Amino acid sequence: MSGELTGLDTFPKLLMHHARARGDRPAIREKDLGIWQTWTWAQFAEQVRLCACGLAAQGLRRGSHIALISDNRPRLYAAMAAAQCLGAIPVPLYQDAVAAEMVFPIQNAEIGFAFAEDQEQVDKLLEILPQCLSLKRIYYDDPRGMRHYAQPELMAYEKLIELGREAHRRDPSFVENEIASGAGDDTAAMFFTSGTTGVPKGVVHSHASLIGPSLTAARLDRLGEGDVILAYLPPAWIGQNIFSCAQAFVTGYCICCPESAETVMTDMREIGPTYYFAPPRVLENLLTQVSIRMEDASRLKRWLYRRFMDVANRVGGAILDGKPVPALDRGLYWLGDLVVYGPLRNVIGMSRVKVGYTAGEAIGPDLFKFYRSIGINLKQLYGSTETAVFVCVQPDGQVKADTAGPAVPGVELRFTPERELLIRSPGLFREYYKNPEATRQAKDPEGWFHTGDAGYFDQDGHVKIIDRVKDVGRLADGTLFAPKYLENKLKFFPYIREAVCFGDARDKVCAFINIDPEAIGNWAERRNMPYSGYTDLSARDEVYELVRECIERVNADLSAEPEIANSQIHRFLILHKELEADDGELTRTRKVRRGFIGEKYGELVSALYAGKTSVHVEAQVRYEDGRTGTYSADLKIRDAKVFTPAASQRAA
Amino acid sequence: MSEVIFFFEVLAGGLLAGVMYALVALGFVLIYKASGVFNFAQGAMVFFAALTFVSLTERGWNFWLALVVTLAVMVLLGIVTERVVLRPLVNQPQITLFMATIGLTFVLEGLSQLIWGSQPHGLELGIPDVPMEWLSQKWNVNISQFDLFSAFVAGGLVAVLAVFFHRTRIGRALRAVADDHQAALAVGIPLQHIWAIVWAVAGFVALVAGLLWGVRNGVQFALTFVALKALPVLILGGFESIMGAIVGGLIIGASEKLAEVYVGPFVGGGIESWFAYVVALVFLLFRPEGLFGEKIIDRV
Amino acid sequence: MSAARRAGDVILSVQDVSLAFGGVRALQEVSFDVCEHEIRAIIGPNGAGKSSMLNVLNGVYHPQQGKIRLRNKEFADMDSHQAADLGIARTFQNIALFKGMSVLDNLMTGRNLKMRCNFLQQALWLGPAKREELEHRRAVEEIIDFLEIQHIRKTPVGRLPYGLQKRVELGRALAAEPAVLLLDEPMAGMNLEEKRDMCRFILDVNDHYGTTIVLIEHDMGVVMDISDRVVVLDYGRKIADGSPDEVRGNQSVVDAYLGVAH
Repeated sequence: MSGELTGLDTFPKLLMHHARARGDRPAIREKDLGIWQTWTWAQFAEQVRLCACGLAAQGLRRGSHIALISDNRPRLYAAMAAAQCLGAIPVPLYQDAVAAEMVFPIQNAEIGFAFAEDQEQVDKLLEILPQCLSLKRIYYDDPRGMRHYAQPELMAYEKLIELGREAHRRDPSFVENEIASGAGDDTAAMFFTSGTTGVPKGVVHSHASLIGPSLTAARLDRLGEGDVILAYLPPAWIGQNIFSCAQAFVTGYCICCPESAETVMTDMREIGPTYYFAPPRVLENLLTQVSIRMEDASRLKRWLYRRFMDVANRVGGAILDGKPVPALDRGLYWLGDLVVYGPLRNVIGMSRVKVGYTAGEAIGPDLFKFYRSIGINLKQLYGSTETAVFVCVQPDGQVKADTAGPAVPGVELRFTPERELLIRSPGLFREYYKNPEATRQAKDPEGWFHTGDAGYFDQDGHVKIIDRVKDVGRLADGTLFAPKYLENKLKFFPYIREAVCFGDARDKVCAFINIDPEAIGNWAERRNMPYSGYTDLSARDEVYELVRECIERVNADLSAEPEIANSQIHRFLILHKELEADDGELTRTRKVRRGFIGEKYGELVSALYAGKTSVHVEAQVRYEDGRTGTYSADLKIRDAKVFTPAASQRAA
Repeated sequence: MSEVIFFFEVLAGGLLAGVMYALVALGFVLIYKASGVFNFAQGAMVFFAALTFVSLTERGWNFWLALVVTLAVMVLLGIVTERVVLRPLVNQPQITLFMATIGLTFVLEGLSQLIWGSQPHGLELGIPDVPMEWLSQKWNVNISQFDLFSAFVAGGLVAVLAVFFHRTRIGRALRAVADDHQAALAVGIPLQHIWAIVWAVAGFVALVAGLLWGVRNGVQFALTFVALKALPVLILGGFESIMGAIVGGLIIGASEKLAEVYVGPFVGGGIESWFAYVVALVFLLFRPEGLFGEKIIDRV
Repeated sequence: MSAARRAGDVILSVQDVSLAFGGVRALQEVSFDVCEHEIRAIIGPNGAGKSSMLNVLNGVYHPQQGKIRLRNKEFADMDSHQAADLGIARTFQNIALFKGMSVLDNLMTGRNLKMRCNFLQQALWLGPAKREELEHRRAVEEIIDFLEIQHIRKTPVGRLPYGLQKRVELGRALAAEPAVLLLDEPMAGMNLEEKRDMCRFILDVNDHYGTTIVLIEHDMGVVMDISDRVVVLDYGRKIADGSPDEVRGNQSVVDAYLGVAH
């Protein structure tokens, strides 16, 4: 493959290469009006060419930035590649961000051009137009509802292509020349980190730093033009960009765009992707849905499911790893594949998945094992926006539930004494845009990137990440306290949506719980318990009881792990509201912001540690219609049983 | 070994008989689906169709000509029934419609005997009702050639109906009418038109059932009673499901034959005539909407 | 917002329509007209005769007196099927969908009147029938896309929540490409968010397809926001007719809503 790609050092060059080498193969598909529509590589390249001509005619120049705010759509990817043809820099922004969140990136990169998916995104941009004086042109993909918009900045994508067609007729070799003058070291794209703290930072990547790791990882998993991926995560996230853009451009595989966010499950089933990425959260939701459906299934089905999942738990992983398994178990597994695992894989749309990855957060070992046991080759990787995703990848046959895998070829790793992971790799970002201070902090003079993640190498040389360096704490007695590790264990229960654990420098661990309204609602319905919503459910004694059982099971597990046995959860409460990204309690990628929550609900935390059995809360709540009101109630606090650590039992 | 073979022979015989029950049940299902009426006259329609056909052939008509003419008569009958019986009774309670179909039964029975006379006829379709030779020689299993033929005919009919219901605009309109009359009217589906079609199709199904049953039992007044055999099938399969009629028919057919052979000797025989009802009754206790009946899902 | 819309000529007019059930006079000499592309509301307190009016337009009730003019044709009354044929589609206050059928099939029934292939072609799935089916499927898919109900395309309607069912019913009415769309309390029984969605869809439909819409609604606030002109009925009589602002200021309307004794 390397021979084929020699000299193709930028994405536009790769694109034009595929248009020549596999012009008739599908490049990108989208379900439109119920039917999958396809652009071949040749059509894709043509579209990009016209779009590039149009953008150039409109004044987009080498080195300037263009914002892209859209869900996964073929035209988004066309516009992105078109900008790259001209040497301009695409800056994808999160499409679910509120308008105010877009101000900073647009001002920061002095963005003059924007591609917006539809009326909703256009409205956001128009709203912030007065603050973003640089923004001169907005192109929209979907003309629906746009008829009455007369702003001079607006233009339909179709119109842009028309302009491009004219320009292309006048100067047919323009785009090819522009592409030829690009080089691997040019900036390829900029991704704004969602920023758990402070203002977002624009992470600048060159073509080389995106293509290099994409190619290495594609070779590792033997990806080729026959592979298919469903692009369903936000394009502004670098992972999505690597999987549904960079790697497709490297290997020539097919990108499929779902019809809408609600149809992803159906689209998965129809497309049958062979290469798949999902953050643990998505895998969790999938499993929750499966569990709920199984609880409603007939008794026979439930029995079959339980029996065969036992078999899968016992031998499924080993069979996938090609390890020896007794013939009887192998037979049982085969039978299970026929009646349970096969249909299950089909339902979740993973029948054809050859390689699946999960990353972004530590995944609950049980959750991870579940997917592998039913025959899906789910693996873990480690990476970040700054490192173009691929830092550690688990190769086939070396898959573990609790590691990120060994370093990808070409990547150097080491740990500081504080256990922070440092990385040097070809995929490293160039800089934070216009932020040399932050760049200096993250990248030291020898080129090591400071990840902020804490961990260590296990005996097989796999990297094991336990948490962020700043979040890993110690209990008063010196026991290691890795809150995320505990929270993940809790979140594995379908009833628990979110958990926040506290314990650093304290004598014991306590937790906030967010119940999963869907799963608990279902549970309540089956028990004929009437309820009015999340807040109502969260205050029920029955629900507290249910959550307490979950916590105690986690405690029992923890008691078997000597190093963290003392971080068992002693007390908990169920929050009266769901944690929301809009309230700043979660990041846009829905990670809990523990510090912020700890401050915001400080009274609740102190009540947990003061040994109270209830605590009064008064909170502003926003109703569905946008009005706000005050909610006031007494939250219950309950104790959970803790277990004597296994080690000390043995000692005793 | 012969025990096992005998068991399968009985089972196969039962299943094939079940196909015949299913055929009659199908006529009920069609009309019930579209208009919510339990058509008591289905048995009479079977009889009328068979009698018309057999009388025509006895008068020297060619087989196919007689078939086509009978079919035309049945379709006409369907249309007339809609026009004369159902249309005037639109929006009346279901019991009224049910009573009307009872009336229709007597009219049909009277009419057919008035036109064609009341003596029994034998019917021959050219397929002998004898065990298939190679099966009995090779495996020592006796399965009637005619039974197998009926099974194929019934299977074909179901396939055609399924295509009709799911592939065509009329089929969709039919399902729509079955679902909600008011809504169907609002989108401009002509109820009368659809009902006439359904009755005509039911007439066609009655013709097929009548011919097959006629060969088996002779064309005589007792043919109207096959409708009674369809009742347990409907209870089992649900009144609204074509699939249910088939599966219900198979279960009833198989279970009554097996009961006759294996249980009969202990209770003095004659089980076959009532066992189906027992099965249906037991079933009613556990799943009143039938095996494939549409569970009404209501959300408030 | 409504000023931006382009109202055309009168498409439907009702002249002196009276309707009585036994001794109860549901409508008394009601007259009004509806212009092309406008959103026309009929409002009034409970029992004012709104539903009766809609049912007259749709051919469910047959008025004893008066005339209805649709485009250039005049009718003393019509039946439902005829109304559908003439391009009048409607939704129902208590939803009349085919609950056992999928969303897609429900929308397809909306196009039943537009299908021309005969029975035999259909049954045999011949070329023209197939083409026709695909062409209608396409039209229906556009509506599915428009109403953002792709994710429930294959779901039986009976399993959907109320708000979505309302949307599907709107879709089925739209599938007939109606000249006049009658909406019977489209917002009834909805929560605020669903109401807002429904308002948006009604406006979008009117804007995108240019469909003339006649809606009756109990909730006055919602109506005033989205209608071009409003007819107010009370005890079967028309007591006001005009723009939302005019109607709002009308004393007899205020009285009717506040329940001043007659």
